[in-house]
Amino acid sequence: MPERTRMKSRFHLRILWPFMLIFIFSLAAFVLLVPFVQNALFAEAEIRGTQVNYMPLFALVFLILAVGLLIGLLINIHYTNRHLNVLEDLTNAAKELGEGHFQEIRIPDDLGQQLEMQELGEALRKTADQTEEQFNALRKEQAMLSAVLDHMTDGVLIADDDGRVQMLNNAAEKLFRIENEQALGRSVVEVMRHYSLVELWEKTKNGDPETVTMEMGSAHKYLQVVGISLEKDLPGRSMLLFQDLTQTHQLEIVRRDFISNISHELRTPMAGLKAISETLLDGALDDPPAARKFVVRMDSEVDNLSQMVNELLELSRIEAGRSNFEFQRSEPCRLMDKVIERMTLQAERVGVSLTQECPPYLPKVFADPGRISQVFVNLIHNAIKFTPNGGHIHLSAWQDGDKVIFKVSDDGVGIPKKDIGRIFERFYKADRARAGGGTGLGLSICKHIVDAHNGQIWVESEENAGSNFYFSLPSVLDGYYI
Amino acid sequence: MSRFSLDQEIRLVQDELLLLGSLVEQAILNSVDALQRRDVEAAKAVYHNDRKINGKHFAIENHILITLATQSPLASDLRLLAGMLEVNTELERIGDYAKGISKVAVRLAEAEFPIPIREIVTMADLATSMLHRALGAFVAGDMVAAHSIPEEDNQVDEYYQSIYRKIVESMIKNPDSIDIANQLVWVVHNLERTADRVTNICERVVFIVSGELMEFDNTDDETIGLD
Repeated sequence: MPERTRMKSRFHLRILWPFMLIFIFSLAAFVLLVPFVQNALFAEAEIRGTQVNYMPLFALVFLILAVGLLIGLLINIHYTNRHLNVLEDLTNAAKELGEGHFQEIRIPDDLGQQLEMQELGEALRKTADQTEEQFNALRKEQAMLSAVLDHMTDGVLIADDDGRVQMLNNAAEKLFRIENEQALGRSVVEVMRHYSLVELWEKTKNGDPETVTMEMGSAHKYLQVVGISLEKDLPGRSMLLFQDLTQTHQLEIVRRDFISNISHELRTPMAGLKAISETLLDGALDDPPAARKFVVRMDSEVDNLSQMVNELLELSRIEAGRSNFEFQRSEPCRLMDKVIERMTLQAERVGVSLTQECPPYLPKVFADPGRISQVFVNLIHNAIKFTPNGGHIHLSAWQDGDKVIFKVSDDGVGIPKKDIGRIFERFYKADRARAGGGTGLGLSICKHIVDAHNGQIWVESEENAGSNFYFSLPSVLDGYYI
Repeated sequence: MSRFSLDQEIRLVQDELLLLGSLVEQAILNSVDALQRRDVEAAKAVYHNDRKINGKHFAIENHILITLATQSPLASDLRLLAGMLEVNTELERIGDYAKGISKVAVRLAEAEFPIPIREIVTMADLATSMLHRALGAFVAGDMVAAHSIPEEDNQVDEYYQSIYRKIVESMIKNPDSIDIANQLVWVVHNLERTADRVTNICERVVFIVSGELMEFDNTDDETIGLD
C-alpha cells in the first residue's frame, strides 16, 4: 500500500511541471518585455504629445500568451504521443498474452521516462512469463494425461448431462469403430449403439457407480463396463470405462471345454477299470483264465490313461518351452522307416494300408528323431481314425529349397472347411462323434514340435476326399546347421 | 414452430431408433446363441423381450406422428421422418424374426438333431453386422455404405442355400427328424429375411438423402429363377 500512495503523489507533481514551464516562460516574458514596451510607448506619446497608444502592449501580451500556449501544446503532444505509443505496445502485448501467443509478445525495452509505464511493462512481462510457465506446465500435464488415456487398453468415454459425448480415448474409438471427430458432440446412443450401455449411463450419471458385464454385437465383444458419475470433479459429466474381456472370456471357455473334455475322456477308461475290478472282486478272480483276460484289459485301459496324461504333460512342457530337444543330423527316410515299422500293424488291424515313398537323395535334416516320429505317429493316428476300412495312407517326402517337406495323405473323410483353421488348436475336435477317444491334443503337439524345429505344418483337405498333412523341416546344407 | 425444436425432435427420434435397432440386433444374436447353447431360459428371455421391442416401436411411431403433425416439416425433413417411420417398421419385423428363432430354440433344446450351428451363427453375425452398419449409414446419411451393404446380402443368401441343403440332407437321411428340421429351416429363413429387411433400410437411406425411390433387393427373383 505505501508504494501505491507514493506513486500517486509522484504522479500529481509531475503532471504539473509543463504548466509550471509555461507559467515561468510567460512570467519571464512579462517581466522582461512589458516594462520595456510600456516605457517605449510612454516616451513616444510624450514626444509626439499624443495620448498613449496601448494597442502594441495588448498585442504583446496576447503574443506572449499565444506562444506560451503553443509551447504547452507542443510539449503535451510530444508526451501524449510517447505515452500513446508505449500504451499501444503494451496493449498489443496484453492481447497476445490473452490469446496465449507467448512467443509473439513484444514489450519494448524503452518505455520512456515514465516510471508508471516502465512498471506496467515490467508487470506485464512478469505476467507473461508466469502465465507461459503455468500454461506449459498445464500443457505437459494434459499431454501426459492424454498419453495415458490413448495408450491404455481400456476404453474411456465422458459424456455431459444431455448425453453428448465430450471425450473418448483411442481404445473406445476402436471399440465403437468411430473416429474422435465424428463422435464428439454426438449422443451416447449414436456412439455406443447398445441399449445396455445407454441404460447403464442413464442409471449411473447421477447415481452410484455400477458395473455390468455384457456381450456386444456381432463381433461378440465381451465387455466389462463401469459407469461413474463425475459430479464432484466435473459437474454434469459422467464417465464410462470399458474393459475388453473377450480374450479372457475365450480362454475361460477353452479352459471350461478342456475340463469337460478331459473329464469325459478320463471317465471312459475309469469306468472300464471300475467295471473290471468289480467283476474280479465279484468272483472272477476264482476263474484264472477269465481273470487273466480282465487284467489284460485293465492293462490296456491303464495304458490309455497314461498316454493321455503323458500327452497333457508333454504339451504343457513344450508350451512352457522347457522340453529339451536333442537335435541331430537325421536322414528323412530313416525317420519315416521307423514310423512305418511301428504303425503298420495298427493300420492293418483296422483294414487301412500304409505305404511310403522316399527318394534316396534327400538331404539330411536337423531334427530330434524321437519328436519327429511322434509327429508322424500323431498324424498317422489321426489318418487311421478318419479313414474307413479299405482306405489308404501314404507317406512321402521331397526336397524344396533348403527344406525337406513330409506329407501324410489319406483318402478318408476329410476335414470340413470351417474346421480347417482351428484343428491345430488345443482340444479342438472337428467331428466329436467320430473323433472318439483322444484328447484333442495330438495336432497341437505336432504343431509345437514342428515349430520348435523352425519348420511349418499345414493341411489341405477336401470333405469326403481325404486330407493331406504337410510339415517342413530345415535341411542340413554342407555342414551348415539351421 | 422453431427450426431448433424440429431438429431436436428428429435427433430424439433418431436416438430412439438406434436404441430399438440395438435391441433388435441383440435379440437376433441372443436367439441364435440360445439355439447354439440349447438354453431354454435364454430363448424364453428373447421371446418375452419382444414385448419391449413392440412397445418401443409404438412409442417411436407415436413420436414421429406427433412431430409430423405439430412441426409440419418439409422436403428433406419430411423425407427423413417418413423414412424413420419405415425403418421403425422394418426393425419391429426383425424383432419378430428373433422371436421366431427363440421359439424354435425352445423346441429344439432337447432335440437330438445335428444343427449346422457354426454356419447359422456366422450367418446371424453377418446379418446383424449389416443391420448395425445400415443404421449407422441411416444416421449419417452415408450413400456409399447404403449402396455397398446390400451387396453383402448375396453372402447371406449363399449361407442360406448351403445350410438349407444340409438340413434337407439330414431330413432325407432321417425322415423322423422332418418336423425338427423344418423348424430349423425357419430359423435360417428368418435370418435371410433379416438381411432383406436391412436392404430395405438401405433403400430408405438412399430415399432420404436423394429423394429417389429405388429397389436393391432382387433376391426374390433369383430364387425362383426369373432374373
